Amino acid sequence: MALVIETPAGGLPAGNPSAPGDPGGPVTSERAAGATLAEGALAEAAQAGGDGPDVPGGRSRTMTIVGHVALALLGIVCVFPIYWMYTTSLRRPQDVYKLTVLPWPLSTSSYSQALDQLDLARLMLNTTIVAILTAAGQLLTSLLAAYAFAVWGFPGKRLLYLGFVGTWLVPFQVTMLPNYVLLHQLGLLNSLAGVIVPNVVSALGVLLLRQHLDSFPKELLEAARIDGRGSWTTLWTVVVPNLRAALTALGILLLVNAWNEYFWPAMVLQRGPSVLQLGINGYLNSAEGDNWGPLTAAAGLACLPIFALYLALQRHVINGFVRSGLR
Amino acid sequence: MRKPSAHRSLSLVTLAAATAMSVLAACGSPGGSGDTHAGASANPVPELGKDQKVSIVFESYNYGLAGAWTDTFNDLISTFEKQHPNIHVVAQKPKGSSPNPAADSISSVQSQVAAGAPPDVVQEGFGDLDFTVHSLGAKALDDLVGKDAVQANFDGPKYPFAKTARTLGDLGGKTYGVPFVFSTPVLYYNASLFTAAGLDPTKPPTTWDEVKADAQAIVSRTKKSGVYLDCLTKVSKDWCFQSLVRSNGGRVISTDRTQLTYDQPATVQVVQLAQGLVKDGLTPVLGQKDGYTSFARGDMGMLLESSSLQATFQKGAKGGKWDLKAAPLPSFGTKPAIPTNSGAALFVLAKDAAKQRASWDLIKFLTSNEAYTEISSKIGYLPLRTGLVNDPAGLQAWAKANPLVQPNLDQLDRLEPWVSFPGNNYVQVRDGMMNAVEKSVYQGADPASTLTAAARQGAALLPKA
Repeated sequence: MALVIETPAGGLPAGNPSAPGDPGGPVTSERAAGATLAEGALAEAAQAGGDGPDVPGGRSRTMTIVGHVALALLGIVCVFPIYWMYTTSLRRPQDVYKLTVLPWPLSTSSYSQALDQLDLARLMLNTTIVAILTAAGQLLTSLLAAYAFAVWGFPGKRLLYLGFVGTWLVPFQVTMLPNYVLLHQLGLLNSLAGVIVPNVVSALGVLLLRQHLDSFPKELLEAARIDGRGSWTTLWTVVVPNLRAALTALGILLLVNAWNEYFWPAMVLQRGPSVLQLGINGYLNSAEGDNWGPLTAAAGLACLPIFALYLALQRHVINGFVRSGLR
Repeated sequence: MRKPSAHRSLSLVTLAAATAMSVLAACGSPGGSGDTHAGASANPVPELGKDQKVSIVFESYNYGLAGAWTDTFNDLISTFEKQHPNIHVVAQKPKGSSPNPAADSISSVQSQVAAGAPPDVVQEGFGDLDFTVHSLGAKALDDLVGKDAVQANFDGPKYPFAKTARTLGDLGGKTYGVPFVFSTPVLYYNASLFTAAGLDPTKPPTTWDEVKADAQAIVSRTKKSGVYLDCLTKVSKDWCFQSLVRSNGGRVISTDRTQLTYDQPATVQVVQLAQGLVKDGLTPVLGQKDGYTSFARGDMGMLLESSSLQATFQKGAKGGKWDLKAAPLPSFGTKPAIPTNSGAALFVLAKDAAKQRASWDLIKFLTSNEAYTEISSKIGYLPLRTGLVNDPAGLQAWAKANPLVQPNLDQLDRLEPWVSFPGNNYVQVRDGMMNAVEKSVYQGADPASTLTAAARQGAALLPKA
């Protein structure tokens, strides 16, 4: 929420060094300084929003209130579908089409039906395996690629980087069939490995980490080199420890993406092991009528691990995005 | 600044080239292996030897549906394997990301054909019949096992297939698919709303004029919606729309399937009727899902819908404490109502003789009295061996407990096939037609000119003779 309080309370300082058009100073230190200053401004803004002594005049206070009311309304709009999902899951099977805001009488029969018909424990385990391995693979490849792009100079670097960015622009649907045929040749169809392997490189991850590494103080790398550390050691002993916040944020983002991935598993896992998103889809079918009760119950359960993860690591996620400049 | 932009454009060109190549690779028509008519009828594939082990892959969208569908089919396959110990069946659902697994069944097989490993037995919709035969390479069963064997299966050991159902999987005089499951359009109605509107719930409307009058009574006296026809959107496909057009004496495509005829007066009149219902406020402007959900909630008087959604309405009626009733497809004045079918047939794609024989054995089992008894009683699909509903050892008890299936069974005598459009662009032709219908009915476009424009565009997409 810190992000949204900053503007009504006065915004960033006028001399925001991350603004374009400041010709002086190397790019890297500029961004680093920007991050720190922005953070300071945020802390200040948060405080201002909290007790309001710095608000000059009533108009700003009104604006703050209006802003908060608008945000609260927006928050309700965002949360409502999730509320409706849990509400529907708690209705009796014959009541799922009712539009009452409170589900009454309460019933857990949708949950028992979902647990009875879907092997949720197995699905959850498979999804966890896929999500963790995919995210870990993406994080590792992104780190290595971003490190090379940010720290080394080599011929064709720019072109190669544009190539990476370019893959981000190609929709997955375009590469889907060649990928599928390759997996068939490798014998990886209908296995969890088939879901993970084509996804171990993330262009977004490379992009994001390169932004972070560009702002990494070159003096530190220089010092490490003078210390006699090679590139590999420098990466793991100097860069990674200092990049922990960014790595955590990206890791969570990639994990959530992999957890929610539906399209590719739906292509690869026609039989054999399955994942949560496919299991849930078993209740969606317009030809025979959607089975909303167990559908929302299973979806509600599938959300819980991600909710828990997000709650526990919320600070890292927000920090990571503030620092990277991504919203 | 010039250098980087030169690099960028170079990389974009490379990228564009790569993308174009992938797209081209993806678009290549994988099917049509040319041996569609392999094997002469005089030379059917041999029976399996006693110790001959065969493994076949069976792809059906029923496996994409959790609960009764998957469970019933798992049970059926395990019974089949017990009866045929030398045949192993690997069952799978279509791959693809559409919420409705049935919608993926064609593209799924298409990409497996491209990868060189299509499933051996597939369940595909009747609207995809032409494509399944000509582009996915479904085998003519008449050639594979002989016409006599195919007809003998329809005749059955005890209960034959409904007469009109036998030819639904035929194309060009040969049987390619054995009709497996289907339903017909049924007019479901909320008897409680009928009573509240002062109508007689024992006398449902039998013509579209009566439907209109009853809808008017319901809207004006109960403030609920009047009627919804789940036949007039792109999402609903065209099977039920074809019922309406046929009932008005028209066709969407000529009988030799070379000319589109959905711009002719009989079709235009159907669309005008539906548009009138919307304009008069008797049909709410809703999408397919919202339409049938509104009926299930008890907020609508009548709904023309596939009988496959019956269980959903029964559940809704129980929760909303209203009385669900069903009536046959209404007619246009004195013209006979002609229902067409939705649903799917079983096809053989296997190329290997042993797999072809095993596939045929599986199809015979899945369309047997035994299998239909299981499928109807557990999933609720219509038994195509209709005699089963009078058999005390078969489905008599089920039919008694589900009187709503009766209109559906009664309609089978008048059933006509859901005609598939020919060629590789058949989906585009169908979508073009249904878009025109949707635009006219729900968005007020002029039916005649909109359908004419769509038919002109569609004609260009038909295969050249």
